[in-house]
Amino acid sequence: MQQIATVQAAAGMVLAKDVETGDNRVLCGKGTALTEAMIDRFKRMDITHITVQGHPVVEEGAKTLKEEVMDIEQRFGRVRHIKPLMYLKKRIQERLIAARRPVEPAAGQGDGE
Amino acid sequence: MSPEQEQKREAIRKALREVKNLPTLPGIISKLTKMADDPDTTTEQMGRTISKDHILAAKLLKLVNSAFYGFPQRISSLSSAIILLGFNVIKSLIISASIFELMEDQDMELWEHSLGCAVVCNVLAKRLGVSDPEEVSTAGLIHDLGKVAIKMELPGESEQVSALVVSRQINRFEAERELLGLDHAEVGGWLAKSWNLPAKLVEPISCHHDPSLAKAEPLAAAIVHFADIVIRGMGYGHGPDIWVPALAPRAWELLRLKPVDIDEMLAEVEEKLWDVKGFSLDIKAEAQSATQVPKG
Repeated sequence: MQQIATVQAAAGMVLAKDVETGDNRVLCGKGTALTEAMIDRFKRMDITHITVQGHPVVEEGAKTLKEEVMDIEQRFGRVRHIKPLMYLKKRIQERLIAARRPVEPAAGQGDGE
Repeated sequence: MSPEQEQKREAIRKALREVKNLPTLPGIISKLTKMADDPDTTTEQMGRTISKDHILAAKLLKLVNSAFYGFPQRISSLSSAIILLGFNVIKSLIISASIFELMEDQDMELWEHSLGCAVVCNVLAKRLGVSDPEEVSTAGLIHDLGKVAIKMELPGESEQVSALVVSRQINRFEAERELLGLDHAEVGGWLAKSWNLPAKLVEPISCHHDPSLAKAEPLAAAIVHFADIVIRGMGYGHGPDIWVPALAPRAWELLRLKPVDIDEMLAEVEEKLWDVKGFSLDIKAEAQSATQVPKG
């Protein structure tokens, strides 16, 4: 899941969260594959950010997945002897990796987890 | 502690007691406290008193409606916020709104760390069935109050602390103890106490690095302690102090979290963090785009 600026959106990206208007009305439900028309509509309605599945936008200067996994390793570097924290570390890393996995466009969107 | 250290500690204590640069407790707090003591005061009256300060009122409602509290319905009036959260929480929110205004300008990282910690506290408190999860979230939001005080009152020392964190790759509270003879948790605890915040907020602040010291509120202190660890683990640290601190065994026993709890907690926290990303108490920009904003 990645939060991106609406100007970065492209047709085919899949919404990971509902797009809502300022007064909390759902404009477009999660799971929807975006079209150019929808993106134009969001822009017209001043929706600045949307959340999409996978990690389609690579920002310049952003860290790679490998670097981020190593960062987590470093942050937990002083508590390697504490078992529950090692579990916490493992899960944070695994979730990061799973979140970066690109979405398979054809699949029926493996929901849940 | 050596007499020399003790002396230094006393001097620092004194400097921080006579806080000059910190926002003094907003006058509205003493007014509200007086009102709360009067059995005839209604929540509407208290709400009206807060509403007189438009900016403060807007900030409070923004905080209350943020993901840190996770109310399913939008709370649009101050009187319902007072009923839902209780006066103590509102009081600490007024204090945090004034303190965090400074923090937001000066220390974005600490602001984000605090917001993240509040989110984790909320998720954990609800999962553990704590009777007033909102109070624990508030404690998470202001747990690093002492850092702000030290930075504002003792800027020179604060820089030395930062330097020590970098050179020795240690946690900030460890560097503070070494250089100042006390840490930000203790300082935050005094401040919260001097503002007459309830033990439910004071103890989690003063004991977040050593939750075994908590006497009245051990569970709340354990939650804030662990939330600080989790949010650091997720990458919301503070400046060069990126380290996940050690977990206090006693706190861990109190929390009784199973692996499945950790998994579900992380999922929930991630989800909520999306909502608070970029959360700011700076309401000027929004106020301008919104309707009727009294100017000046």
